[in-house]
Amino acid sequence: MSSDQSRPGDGADDAAPDREPDARFTLANERTFLAWNRTALAFVVAGLAIVQLLPPFPGLPWGRHLLAVPLIAFGAVLAVGSFVEWGRNQRALRRGEPLPRSPLPRALAVMIAVVGVVAVLLVLLSLALE
Amino acid sequence: MTGRRGDAPDADADPEDIDLALFRERTELAWHRTGIAFAALGGAMIKTTPSIGLIILAISVLIFVLGHTSRSLLLITIAVTAVSLVALVLAFFNGDPPFPPL
Repeated sequence: MSSDQSRPGDGADDAAPDREPDARFTLANERTFLAWNRTALAFVVAGLAIVQLLPPFPGLPWGRHLLAVPLIAFGAVLAVGSFVEWGRNQRALRRGEPLPRSPLPRALAVMIAVVGVVAVLLVLLSLALE
Repeated sequence: MTGRRGDAPDADADPEDIDLALFRERTELAWHRTGIAFAALGGAMIKTTPSIGLIILAISVLIFVLGHTSRSLLLITIAVTAVSLVALVLAFFNGDPPFPPL
């Protein structure tokens, strides 16, 4: 990465469509990718902890798997999705275009909310069955 | 730190905006945090499944090295996806079966 790189957005009307983006933006994009992957790992760890460490819900032998499997699968989705997002962002930076909107934050929020609601329901159901 | 300041920096500018080395350092730290996250997962899994835990620990070492050299983002993606798939298999076969036989 040389020091005379153009900044995305500086020359939107330039003839060259693809230019090496500012190193700071490239590094920020890379950090965002890594942060998403750490989030993905946290989902995997949470899912594994639920299956391996949590005692079974009374009367609901499938309860832990109902919570853990979506969490772990979502971890894989986040890992792949963050790589796709990184590529899209990098392409937009090279072309000096506005950054595309990422669906990942919304998916993350929905996933956490759904898993939270399911966990509450499982706890209440197991209390009722106890 | 060996970062070179940019030419004629604005007096009011945030130092991080004018020193590329700080951006690089933050990115390296992000790689280290990712490696630590892998190491923590590997260390936790060593107790239950030592072979997979050791593999994940090896991946964490690889990530530490990658953070200083090639920075292959695809490799990280593959590693996290593979760990997720292994975790899915473990969730189904290593804990109590989700659906006990009738």
